[in-house]
Amino acid sequence: MYTELNSILNTNPDSFTQGEFVLLSDRKSDASFLIHHFLSLYLRARCKVWFLGLVQSFNHYSAISQRLGVSLAQAKEKGQLVFLEGLNESLSVLIPQETDTRSQAMGFLRDPAVGLKSLYEFVRSSVTSSGGGEAGADGAEEWGPPVLLVDDLSVLLSLGGNVVMLVRCDGEEEEEDDGDDEGSERLLKGLTHQCSLTLHVQGLPTGFCRDIHGQVEVCWRRRQGDGQYTQKKLFQYKVHDKGVSFFAPGTSSAVL
Amino acid sequence: MLPELLQGIDAGGFLIIQDSTSYSGRHLLKSFINSALDREEAVHVLGFEVSEEELKDGLKGSPIQRLHFHNAYSDPLGWTDHPAFTVSQFCLDELTRLVKQTSHPKPATLVIDSLSWILRHLSPPDVCKTLHQLRKGGAVRAIIGLLHADMHQRGTVGSVCHLATSVITVVPVVKGDKAVAKITKRSKSGKVMQDEEIFSIKEDFTVIVQGKPSQLGPKLADPKEQETDPTANLTFNLRLSDTEREAKEKLALPFVFSKEKKTALLHSGPGSGRILYEPDANDDYDQEDPDDDLDV
Repeated sequence: MYTELNSILNTNPDSFTQGEFVLLSDRKSDASFLIHHFLSLYLRARCKVWFLGLVQSFNHYSAISQRLGVSLAQAKEKGQLVFLEGLNESLSVLIPQETDTRSQAMGFLRDPAVGLKSLYEFVRSSVTSSGGGEAGADGAEEWGPPVLLVDDLSVLLSLGGNVVMLVRCDGEEEEEDDGDDEGSERLLKGLTHQCSLTLHVQGLPTGFCRDIHGQVEVCWRRRQGDGQYTQKKLFQYKVHDKGVSFFAPGTSSAVL
Repeated sequence: MLPELLQGIDAGGFLIIQDSTSYSGRHLLKSFINSALDREEAVHVLGFEVSEEELKDGLKGSPIQRLHFHNAYSDPLGWTDHPAFTVSQFCLDELTRLVKQTSHPKPATLVIDSLSWILRHLSPPDVCKTLHQLRKGGAVRAIIGLLHADMHQRGTVGSVCHLATSVITVVPVVKGDKAVAKITKRSKSGKVMQDEEIFSIKEDFTVIVQGKPSQLGPKLADPKEQETDPTANLTFNLRLSDTEREAKEKLALPFVFSKEKKTALLHSGPGSGRILYEPDANDDYDQEDPDDDLDV
């Protein structure tokens, strides 16, 4: 969780709006540092988090979250974090063995016609089953509103074809998307129409810089009845070992 | 033209609101719903993109009873066991049945939010066919659809808009919450009218038209300033008096080949050297001037 980003987005672990759909996208850059921010933010906020990690292994996220002060393994044990490790599951789908009884969440790799329905089923059954046993007699802790994080959607696009995964939970959703070619461009536009907050990461338009790793454009799309005001803000960022610093364009510490 | 469209669409009309990610056309769509409800018409909404609460947010009062929301938001692809309305139900029979379920004296208006969603899952020719049948069928009086132009190829957008009797394309203006609406209206006689208007939408979904885009454009540049005379206000004199101008014009420039110079060169003056030539017996002396035919 990066404190500067929290103040930019007006969120903190104690208060954030529910029912939001946050879209993280990048173009010729890597927005994965934002995924780590949101993951640690929601874990700190004691929400129940479902993480569909389709591009990296659990250990990868775990190691980075450790640096941000959050232990993924602990959260998983306590039941706060449900992690779908896409890379592991896909192996069992592509090379099936008789003793395999794991869920068919990644079944779309084999059979794109089935679509992402099995993935949706996996998430939905997981959400509803946990919702039922929340305040159970086994002393399970009560967690906050459910959050779904997906990293990342463009993987689904390149593997499964037509992506229309709809998970309408009561909580918040986040997705990551890469806007480079036409198919993902359409997906990006479609998701942008639906979301309430987008963070678009790209490299500096002037080229590579050692002290500034890129720029983030934050766009709030207010959808309430009181007017249609889309607010946009641009920030530059630098990724450090244990965090990311955000600053207004031109105010990098290397420059001032 | 926007207020006229809001007051009512002709029977069999099909209105498309085209928007993009930079400005959402849903507020304008809600204004159309609001004015249809005020006219005591029944409105059926196929909601694919937003939930019922979000769509009804802001629309208040008793007219809301006439708004029938068909929930295609929670399960549009039919992945659960009991979907309310799925994309595959977008065909003439299903829609006619849906609209006829609620009986109402006045014919209903069908609002589709959004057409883009349907176009992602059904082929454009099928969608166009269904829309055409709906228009002619008579089950609904008018159709209003929201289309996200940046989600489809231009050909798809063009084909669907070709079916429409009116198309409103909304783009944002740089400052404020105003937007520009580019309206194309095709009347039954075949006449096409086009217009551009700046509008904003208030909280109660009334639309205020604030003029044409050209009025807000940059002001015309100030009338051309008087040409300043560069020779004024100097410490030295750059002007010429009349005599000086005459002398200047008379001056022969050094390297221009004038008539006087030509005669001076060709006919040598007195005192210059002369060449005397006495031809020998062997010489072939031709009296003619070999350069006679030159036109120098």
